[in-house]
Amino acid sequence: MGVFDKLVFALGLKKREASVLVIGLDNSGKSTMLNHFKSEDQKSTEIVPTVGFNVEKFKARNVGFTAFDMSGQGRYRSLWEHYYHDCQGVIFVVDSSDKLRLVVAKDELDMFLQHPEIRTRRLPILFFANKMDVREAVSSVKVSAALGLERITNKPWHITASNAITGDGLHEGVEWLTNQIKENLNK
Amino acid sequence: MIGSFKQIKKDEEDGGGNPYHSTDKTSVLQEARVFNETPVNVKRSTHVLTKILYLLNQGETLATKEATDAFFAMTKLFQSNDLVLRRLVYLGIKELCNIAEDTIIVTSSLTKDMTGREDQYRAPSIRALCRITDASMMQAIDRYMKQAIVDRAPGVSSAALVSCRHILKESPEVVKRWVSEVQEALSSDCVMVQFHALGVLHQLRKSDKLAVTKLVSKLTSSSLRSPYAICLLIRIVARLIEEDEIGYDSRLSDFLESMLRHKAEMVTYEAANAIVTLKRSSARDLPPAISVLQLFLSSPKPTLRFAAVRTLSKVAMTHPNAVTACNLDLENLIQDVNRSIATLAITTLLKTGSEGSVDRLMKSISSFLNDISDEFKIVVVEALRSLALKYPRKQAVLMGQLADMLRSEGGLPYKEAIASTIITIIEDNPEAKEKGLDHLCEFIEDCEHTTLAVRIIHLLGREGPRTRQPSRYIRFVYNRVILENAAVRAAAVSVLAKFGAQCEGLLPNILVLLQRCMMDTEDEVRDRATYYHAILATRDSTLIHRYILNPPQFALPSLERALVQYLQSPAVEPFETRMEERVVPTHEKYAEQLSAIPQFAHLGPLFKSSTPVELTEAETEYMVRCIKHTFQNHIVLQFDCTNTLNDQLLESVSVVVDGEGWVVQTSLPCASLPYSQPGSCYILLPIPEDIMSTTGTLSATLKFTVRDCDPATGEPDTDEGYEDDYTLEDVEITVADHVQRAARSNFAAGWEELGATNELEDTFALSAMSTLEEAVTQITQFLGMHPCDRSDRIPEGKSSHTLYLAGTYRGGHEVLVRAKLALADGVTMQLTVRSDDPEVSEVIASAVG
Repeated sequence: MGVFDKLVFALGLKKREASVLVIGLDNSGKSTMLNHFKSEDQKSTEIVPTVGFNVEKFKARNVGFTAFDMSGQGRYRSLWEHYYHDCQGVIFVVDSSDKLRLVVAKDELDMFLQHPEIRTRRLPILFFANKMDVREAVSSVKVSAALGLERITNKPWHITASNAITGDGLHEGVEWLTNQIKENLNK
Repeated sequence: MIGSFKQIKKDEEDGGGNPYHSTDKTSVLQEARVFNETPVNVKRSTHVLTKILYLLNQGETLATKEATDAFFAMTKLFQSNDLVLRRLVYLGIKELCNIAEDTIIVTSSLTKDMTGREDQYRAPSIRALCRITDASMMQAIDRYMKQAIVDRAPGVSSAALVSCRHILKESPEVVKRWVSEVQEALSSDCVMVQFHALGVLHQLRKSDKLAVTKLVSKLTSSSLRSPYAICLLIRIVARLIEEDEIGYDSRLSDFLESMLRHKAEMVTYEAANAIVTLKRSSARDLPPAISVLQLFLSSPKPTLRFAAVRTLSKVAMTHPNAVTACNLDLENLIQDVNRSIATLAITTLLKTGSEGSVDRLMKSISSFLNDISDEFKIVVVEALRSLALKYPRKQAVLMGQLADMLRSEGGLPYKEAIASTIITIIEDNPEAKEKGLDHLCEFIEDCEHTTLAVRIIHLLGREGPRTRQPSRYIRFVYNRVILENAAVRAAAVSVLAKFGAQCEGLLPNILVLLQRCMMDTEDEVRDRATYYHAILATRDSTLIHRYILNPPQFALPSLERALVQYLQSPAVEPFETRMEERVVPTHEKYAEQLSAIPQFAHLGPLFKSSTPVELTEAETEYMVRCIKHTFQNHIVLQFDCTNTLNDQLLESVSVVVDGEGWVVQTSLPCASLPYSQPGSCYILLPIPEDIMSTTGTLSATLKFTVRDCDPATGEPDTDEGYEDDYTLEDVEITVADHVQRAARSNFAAGWEELGATNELEDTFALSAMSTLEEAVTQITQFLGMHPCDRSDRIPEGKSSHTLYLAGTYRGGHEVLVRAKLALADGVTMQLTVRSDDPEVSEVIASAVG
């Protein structure tokens, strides 16, 4: 880090850096959601199923986010845990129109919460009840109930209904996450 | 681990130029934790990743767990956009992908880089992606690969094409889907892309010859821009020409010839090289190619000179005359600063040069021989060998040179090459023998290679006793007994015994020497000394001949078979080895097959099997070949039949033979002979009592029942067949069928031992033969005996020659034949036969007439 960088940081002008983990079942809209945060010229026109993971960067309220966009397909979910260690926040995306698989999402969430790297840490978790525009979609409250979020007591969490294609609800959610992370970083 | 240790040591000696020399696996893997830091510490990560790569390239191995941990830590470096670090990550992925698990995790990250904007990332990410992707995942990257192959950036396109070649090995069907893209890449403007595309296309179609031909004919007519691609095309064309036996396409060779005029040196060289190395190139095709190479000989570029001279030296083996045109240029190259070029030039000259230039060349060789590597020295020795065989008059000069080389420094292969060259010269030219033996004797006085010393001592034992003064070699041999290791001592003892057996005058001294050897520390040496001493001390010439000069040479499988048979038989007389001894084990396979047939089980051991004789013309309806198996009192004729008609099924196939004095005892038909499946039928003939009528001609007819059948399935159409027969060529039973080849290490000793009791002598005029070589081959083949003492090789320019043959007649009778041949209006032959049975001598002598 150069002298100039140090100076900027000291004056509070420099944005802070944080890495977040984006997880959730396949086809829940993780990559689409991150695509929304990219600048116009970097946006990809079509989103294909992620194999493995992707690293995306975006900025929100003076905090630079490095997002690990994990693949949600069944065979790759076991690989999430390799990235638990050094994340400062988690975004859990749920397809709220897929009622059938809400239980699967709950299973994955429980496994995630039970993981030794996660259990004891006060990680902020942001839930996106995505695809709220779809007609069969259930409300964020119902999603919250289905996932049993009320059980999470040792971590701050927040659930927002969202539409990753139009971007509705995304900024609200990320704003909450930014605040949480900032708090953590300032401690 | 040891390798890296050595490396470290070496580096220390170099003065510690390598900053990574003290890298250690455990600590580096610890340091790899720095990858997990957020934000990424680019500088340190780069350093640690380099260390990991260094270790892997030193041959360090990682366990799966270690590799997987390092791999996942490394994936976090994708956060950074540092150019150097990212490219190191690609390298890391490629190195670790075979050890670590779940490497598939980086697929999306790599596809992102591969389709991204940064060209620096795109090519390496394609290469890394193709390494981690298995056949099941290919589908996912299919679209990206198609795009990459036709990408505008040549680096990206080349990377994709090269990756295709790697994928081809595992899942060729995937790459087949990309053919149209590869075709498009073939017309790219970039020379490398074109080359790689052609490589992929050829590899795809390699197994389909028609497709390759199509590809070639399309490309030879259009002109490729890339010289690399043209070179590859030339190689493909050359292989096509080589493989094509009949349908030889003159357009292909025209193409090769036209490429000689291409403007790129690379291409002209490749074309010239292809033309001269083609097996079917005749002397007429060579000159244009040779003149191209000749031009390169005077090129200022050393690589071109080297390539040209190397190719010429290869051609000189097969077509020395074609290369003579370059002699002048080659002479200039002898002074070349590059030693490799000079060596090749000189060896080429040795192959093509005239007799007069040999002396001069030898001088220039010795001037730089010390500067070149062993490998090239061997090339020189090989050249000297062929030169010695070509110009026998120069052998004295060459021998001196070889002896000098033998004394100089060099490894075992080099020394071996020299020694075998000297041995070749000794065998080829009796006049050079003593001189050569002297050189070799001197050499073994100070020879650290056991195998070579044993070989030379053995040679001394063979050749020494027959020289004018055998006693002078005894000292060299006995010195070995005193000075060398056990293997050499044992060989030396055997050789001493050979001297004792053949040189009457030396025998008392040899006995004394052998007695001393009996005190040796090594069992084998003591055993040999005792054995030979005991035999020599009897002074019984028969014993000496049988157990020292011509020791029984058993074919171990035959001996084993004979012993098993003996144990199974109720016989009480002692085991007799004569039948089996000195038998060449060519008929082992047949012996096994025949003894499995119950009708032939009582015939006793198989004496000899002839080589197969065709009884039908090639490409006829039925193909039959006959193998004659000779037993003690019987001959079994084995007929291997093949049915070449696909609409016929033959049943109860047998052969009927008829000849004067021969009665068929048993005939075993072949039950069924479907299309193209060979089958055998047998005939058992007792051999007539009268030894003079044991040869003859038998007429043969194939008899069988035909059932017509469906060509596709082979199922017969009818239940009833009809009888038919087919006339075959006659079966000849000759003297050779009764005689087995026998190897003799010392013909003269055997000849004396048999004595003149049953000797027969006759003179023949072989008017049909015009050369001695022809006569020698004919006689050897006709009698079925083994030429001894290399008497089947006739020195050039001689008009007379003596052929020594040895064999065993059916029943175990030893037969030796001496044929003195003289060339005068055809060949005149004086044939002398000795054997231990007067009748056998008569049969052999009369057989020739």
